[in-house]
Amino acid sequence: MSNVLRQHAEELFAQELEELQKQDSGRRPANWKLTPQSVVTYLMGGSLANGFEVSPKYIGNRKLMEIAVATLTTDRALLLYGLPGTAKSWVSEHLAAAISGDSTMIVQGTAGTAEEAIRYGWNYARLLAEGPTEKALVETPVMRAMKDGKVVRIEELTRIGADVQDTLITILSEKALPVPELNMEVQAEKGFNVIATANNRDKGVNELSSALKRRFNTVILPVPDSIEEEMDIVKRRVESYEKVMELPAEPPALQEIRRIVTIFRELRNGVTVDGKTKLKIPSGTLSTAEAISVVNNGLAMAGYFGDGVLKAGDLAAGIIGAVVKDPVQDKIVWQEYLETVVKVREDWKDVYRACRELL
Amino acid sequence: MEVLGIRHHGPGSARNVRKFLEEMKPDIVLVEGPPDADGILQWVGKEELRPPVAILVYQPDDPKHSVFYPFAEFSAEWQAILYARQNNIPVRFMDLPAMHMLAIEKQKREALNKTEEQSEDDVISSIQSVTSGKDEVFVPKKDPISYMAEAAGFDDGEHWWEMMFEQRRNNEGIFEAVGEAMQELRTVFPGKKDRKEQLREAYMRKVIRQAEREMFTNIAVICGAWHAPALKNMPKQKDDNELLKGLPKVKTECTWVPWTYNRLSFESGYGAGIHSPGWYEHLWNYPEDDGTRWMSKVAGLFRQKQMDTSVAHVIESVRLANALAALRQMPRAGLQELNEATWSVLCNGEDMLLQLIRNELIVGNRIGSIPDDIPKPPLQVDIERAQKRLRLAVTADFKEYTLDLRKENDLERSIFLHRLQILDIDWGQKNHVGGKGTFKELWRLQWRPELSVDIVEKGTWGNTVEEAASAWIIQECKDAQTLHQVAVLLQQVIPAELSDAAEFVGQHINDMAAATNDVLELVKVIPGLAGIVRYGNVRQTDAGMILSLLSSMIARICIGLPAACVGIDEDTAISLTDDCTQIEHSIQLLKHQMFIVQWQQCLQQIAYNQHAASMLRGFAVRQLMDYRILQGDELYNIFYSSLSKAVAPADAGAWLEGFLKGSGTILLLDDNLWQTVNNWVKQLDEGNFTQLLPLLRRTFAEFSQSERRRIGEKVKSGTVGTTVKVNKDIDVERARMAIPVVMQLLGYN
Repeated sequence: MSNVLRQHAEELFAQELEELQKQDSGRRPANWKLTPQSVVTYLMGGSLANGFEVSPKYIGNRKLMEIAVATLTTDRALLLYGLPGTAKSWVSEHLAAAISGDSTMIVQGTAGTAEEAIRYGWNYARLLAEGPTEKALVETPVMRAMKDGKVVRIEELTRIGADVQDTLITILSEKALPVPELNMEVQAEKGFNVIATANNRDKGVNELSSALKRRFNTVILPVPDSIEEEMDIVKRRVESYEKVMELPAEPPALQEIRRIVTIFRELRNGVTVDGKTKLKIPSGTLSTAEAISVVNNGLAMAGYFGDGVLKAGDLAAGIIGAVVKDPVQDKIVWQEYLETVVKVREDWKDVYRACRELL
Repeated sequence: MEVLGIRHHGPGSARNVRKFLEEMKPDIVLVEGPPDADGILQWVGKEELRPPVAILVYQPDDPKHSVFYPFAEFSAEWQAILYARQNNIPVRFMDLPAMHMLAIEKQKREALNKTEEQSEDDVISSIQSVTSGKDEVFVPKKDPISYMAEAAGFDDGEHWWEMMFEQRRNNEGIFEAVGEAMQELRTVFPGKKDRKEQLREAYMRKVIRQAEREMFTNIAVICGAWHAPALKNMPKQKDDNELLKGLPKVKTECTWVPWTYNRLSFESGYGAGIHSPGWYEHLWNYPEDDGTRWMSKVAGLFRQKQMDTSVAHVIESVRLANALAALRQMPRAGLQELNEATWSVLCNGEDMLLQLIRNELIVGNRIGSIPDDIPKPPLQVDIERAQKRLRLAVTADFKEYTLDLRKENDLERSIFLHRLQILDIDWGQKNHVGGKGTFKELWRLQWRPELSVDIVEKGTWGNTVEEAASAWIIQECKDAQTLHQVAVLLQQVIPAELSDAAEFVGQHINDMAAATNDVLELVKVIPGLAGIVRYGNVRQTDAGMILSLLSSMIARICIGLPAACVGIDEDTAISLTDDCTQIEHSIQLLKHQMFIVQWQQCLQQIAYNQHAASMLRGFAVRQLMDYRILQGDELYNIFYSSLSKAVAPADAGAWLEGFLKGSGTILLLDDNLWQTVNNWVKQLDEGNFTQLLPLLRRTFAEFSQSERRRIGEKVKSGTVGTTVKVNKDIDVERARMAIPVVMQLLGYN
């Protein structure tokens, strides 16, 4: 096994991609590694004609993945939008891996991302020595993806300043990147497209200009529909984490995962699972990803400081940390929830006590 | 004879039926529908009868139980009837008549009611004997068509049917194909043959035979696809007659009523509600559309709502819809693909905007109309019956009724009038009645002819006053924006004894209470609710629901109030103190130990929170003192610290005002309190005293004149109150002997 901490999707799932490619018979868009149908299968999982099992990467609504893949077959770019922790980057990585066989063309958007990071930069030593030549040009992932006809990923698009974002307009509408210094342009090969991700919870983001917005089809990735779906996600991810981190604790009982997921869902949706009581909604996102980290955190606590078995007490601090982001408003929300919901549940007494102690 | 198996309200089916009939040129048309309504088919084709409309079959003696048979322009049945009327050939309904259908249901209900007391075995057997004449077979829960859809790889039956039959352009032999498919399904699932289905099909065959006997040779039969095979392969006539013998009957009447697309999307008489009438209308009008016209409509709607939508948007969404259809290997984009494309391209992934399209375009807001000379609606009939039963005369003059709610007839009258009031049919006006007690009501009644219009209008909400009022309240409740509005609705609904609606409104209040961050809003609702719980009993209403509502609201208030007292200006503080006084009264009124404990805890938090508004802190301390939670040194400490020199005079004054809120008399009667205030005033040095004088004056100005005079006298006499000395050497025996006399003197006997 490789010593790399985290492998790229196309390496980790190389076998699946290969099997899919082998049995793929339909018509492929130019420069795509798989047919659109197979890309959807790769994301959603399923068994192939020869009995090979493809594991699900995205657990949720199949339609969303279909819209995403169909978008990439047209000349519009794809914008994955949603709360933090709803698998946006995860989906974009796997889409790029399945379509182009390469998920490494990536630009990380930050408040400091400059135009050079998106279009092209210069190797100043050469520029000074030789003047503007093609050799002095530093290609960005975007430029390389255009040349190779691949999918490029732009993470956190809305964090990039508005002026820099708009450099994407030409790339997306003309499918070309002019280099006026050299009096040339790079024209995109077939198969080029952009997958951007953005989250809708952050403050201080730069809304896309409507000119740019028009060039994206938006897919909002929702929080999981059902409690079973969410538990499935948490369980899978916690298991893979345990393997990597070699934690001494026992794997968590489904019971504990169910309780965490229930608390998160109830507070997120503002209503109890049985639909009888409405609740106030805290300011945090309470995403599935956070549920995963609360369980991991609890496992570490139980493994290194406890008796190795995950208990309510190991989780309480993590839960409160995730829920109470605003010390005044969220505390009221949490208190109300504890008193009106957790307290009255028969088999939740330990959770109630553990949380009460910490408040 | 030709049997045309259709889907109710399917635009493709409608088009096929129309085309088929034009080629076939039948001499009679038979349509699945209630034969009771044959008489009113003559209206079809008149200019004023515009779909969507429905045939309403109701029992004149019991309008609550009725059946609607809705028709849209794109309903195959409507097109068939219309064809017959336009070509002047006879048209008849052929389903099991509603008079039998309603009677069978009535029997079922009665059997259920009757057997409630019997043992469970009896219940099952007797229900079976009513519902099925023969052995019960496995009844699939799902619509059988969905099994075919599943086999074809679709996730939902309606979608599959739409792809296969409704959106198809080449329609040759389609009715045979449908017939064969259904034949196959019927052999696999014989289960759908429960008794009612058998009766319906037997009756349909009976009508067909009747037509044959009348020497019609070219008969067109339009029925739901499922029934088609049963009508083609006729069993022996004798068996059918056997089955149909001795069916129970009730009296029914029929009329046309206007319908809406919105209602069409609910389940109705055929048991076949459709989700997207607006889309079907589009399909009916533009069968050739590849999505472009639909998307233009969507874009038009968005522009109307002030959202910028360019032609490029439309192009992109049509393209995406077609790409999706290709990905799913379908010949053309259906509503699902178009919706997903709209969602992604035009709505930027927002579900909210898609909801707008759903309401305005997919369901649509079209309302049908009916000619003026059509018979009376059931709500009117129900009102007239109630008027007769309760002996409330319909007069053009004012007439007054004083109702004593302890009498049953008067109580019913009051309930009836309250319900009409809810429906805004303002026949009666409730006036204030003098005297004590809550069991009397004074009503002034005057009938105006315009009220009939209101009744027709409200008729869409239900066929009886009770039903309509409930539905109306529930709708109002859904539309209400503030907690206060909903609380008012609850106060309306309680005297009208609409328990379902009351429960809904209660639940809604609870939901809104949970969602609101504004405790001030909650606080205002409490007194009204407490009043209902305390005094609602005259009306024999169950106060339990409201009590539980109150308990959750009081819990919320007690958690949220301490935070709400922080950082507010003087005016808000004054009004909040008034509200708190109201809550205090309500809690006293309810006399519920749990509420009192919660309230006391809440008061304690306010009293000790240095950031809370001074007036409220004063108020809280005072209440705690009254509850005897704050006493002695602790009380002095908090009193002195709140009024000490470092505290801004304005704050100190506000604190004292809250403390002494409306309680001049108590200052006179309670020596502890008197002493506390007196001691405090005495310790003030001259400078401070002068400074505080205006504030104190304001506080004392609120007391009544006699109180102020007596306080003045008390100060003047110099006594620091009359100290009651407790003499420990009481002869208990002798004291007890005096008690009866004292009681008599005080009038306690």
